[in-house]
Amino acid sequence: MRTDRLDELEHALIEMIQVEVTAGKPVEAHTDLLLTGLVSSISVVRIVTWLEEHLDIEIDPVDVVLENFQTVALMIDYARRR
Amino acid sequence: MPWLSEVRNGHDHFSERMTRPHNLSDLLLDRSQRDPSSLALVDADTRLTYGEVATMVGRLSTQIRHEGVRPGDRVAVFAPKSTNTFVAMHAALHAGAIAVPINAMTPADAVERLARDLNPRAVVLTADTAERWPLDVSSLTIGSPVDGHRLLDWTCLESGDVDGPANRLGSDPAYLISTSGSTGVPKSIVHTHSSGLRYAELAAECYDLGPDDRMASVAPFHFDQSTFELYSSMVAGAAVVLISEILLRFPASVSGLLEREAVTTWYSVPTILRQLLERGAIEERDLSALRWVLFGGEVFPPAQLRRLMEMLPSARFSNVYGPAEVNQCMFHHLETPPDDEANIPIGRPWADTDLRIVDREGSALSGACRGELHVRSSTTMAGYWNRPDVNRSVFDERQEVGGLTSRWYRTGDLVERDVDGVMYFLGRVDRQVKVRGVRIELEAVEMALGALDGITGSAAYLDPLADNTLVGVVESDATIAESDILISLANVLVNESIPSRVVVVPRLPRTTSGKVDVNRAAALVTASIDADTTTPGAPGPKASDQVSPT
Repeated sequence: MRTDRLDELEHALIEMIQVEVTAGKPVEAHTDLLLTGLVSSISVVRIVTWLEEHLDIEIDPVDVVLENFQTVALMIDYARRR
Repeated sequence: MPWLSEVRNGHDHFSERMTRPHNLSDLLLDRSQRDPSSLALVDADTRLTYGEVATMVGRLSTQIRHEGVRPGDRVAVFAPKSTNTFVAMHAALHAGAIAVPINAMTPADAVERLARDLNPRAVVLTADTAERWPLDVSSLTIGSPVDGHRLLDWTCLESGDVDGPANRLGSDPAYLISTSGSTGVPKSIVHTHSSGLRYAELAAECYDLGPDDRMASVAPFHFDQSTFELYSSMVAGAAVVLISEILLRFPASVSGLLEREAVTTWYSVPTILRQLLERGAIEERDLSALRWVLFGGEVFPPAQLRRLMEMLPSARFSNVYGPAEVNQCMFHHLETPPDDEANIPIGRPWADTDLRIVDREGSALSGACRGELHVRSSTTMAGYWNRPDVNRSVFDERQEVGGLTSRWYRTGDLVERDVDGVMYFLGRVDRQVKVRGVRIELEAVEMALGALDGITGSAAYLDPLADNTLVGVVESDATIAESDILISLANVLVNESIPSRVVVVPRLPRTTSGKVDVNRAAALVTASIDADTTTPGAPGPKASDQVSPT
């Protein structure tokens, strides 16, 4: 995937998380979403669905692991590998 | 005579035991003396032996006693599950104190009420929970500083003296478990060393635990299922594999851990097992070491249970029943996967337990019957903390021979016993409601809704704002029409049990133990009606102004 497209995706993802997941609490690319208690198991599903819709991919459940979803940057890394 | 004489795998686990344990802290001491080098505790980046855990527990216990903790004092653990909080739970017992695990997500005002009710001498905190702890309660914090409190940081586990355990009797309080408070004000259940120890022993026996077991610790410590891992593990010398609350948000990470650590037992609410089934990628893992899956706390929809059992053929599955007030009291081992429409029993009483089913007038029923379940057992709580009023009414004292009395805990659960003596859970006595004069169980409606395709959770309640009509709420990712749900229900429920309306939501509110929170689900529906009937941005109408849905 091209870099500018990834930047765009990162912004959109952060925006969605701030609106729908963290109730307005600011999030950055490297914020640990899990340690700060910002993201519940429900929000994980929401984020996965959002990525699937925006990238037009299907995410294998086996990839939905801590290592790929702890921060927005890790989610984008995962998206790049796809 | 050995206190558990079961011989398994050709050797007797308990043959070296000289005396039986008298209280919960004996379990760790005894095990660490006999098998100091066996694995006791596994975390993401830590592996500790029984000897190491016992030393850490002894150091913390000694330190907190130097800081003024006395037998009977409360030691609160207001922090997520970790090796340190596992050690703190045991150190509280070793010091003769009462361990009080508190849900780390509890909001500040609820924590304050709890803290004032319990008045703990010491509290385990993290930087996050310290912000919600009332400043003037307790004088000692462990783990994270609070202004004005003396602090023990976790380096105290790395060195220091170890004194012997405080002298505690079986009848002394050991730990408190908070009730969910789904109906009214939360209460703290007081378990004694004796009731906790007897549960630990009976569970180790019932589920055949041994030194080769690796027990997944799924439930947080404030939820009573966790006593299986906290204490039964030590009866058997098994290792505990901690699964953090963070990891539970990633079922595929959990299944990876189960494979890597060759976990052999699992105990959780069905909700977490359903997440593992739907999103855990278990078909890609080798989970052949998993030999026993226990579930309890809510009803497992049989279709999903069947799918899970088919995917984990090496594991035996058991439905575990028992209010936190009595620990466990019944179990049902499933020999084969259930049919989709099966009613899964809660089974029969386990050892050292006596059950009665009583009618509305309080008379015991015999044979096949339905009524409220009363329990008398060695694993029953002493009572509720600071609630003498409730303690008088929650136990039924009955006259026995010689002018003595027996004490029965009124569970508030409605059960049915069949001709073979096998029991079924019907619902809560206080969730039995009348719709158009017909008595129905709200749980039966929830079970029928939850069994429908594409539905991952359900709630049912009577809406006082709409003439007490029956309302269903279902959780689904898919778009499902209300009319389709109602048509499907007509095949399985009597007319009065079919909700007047069913609301589909993407997510249902749940308690920290994963159960659907019916009160909050109802509030969610009310709020969505408010949002529908007002212009965006305008304040919603008062509940009393609400138009009854038709």
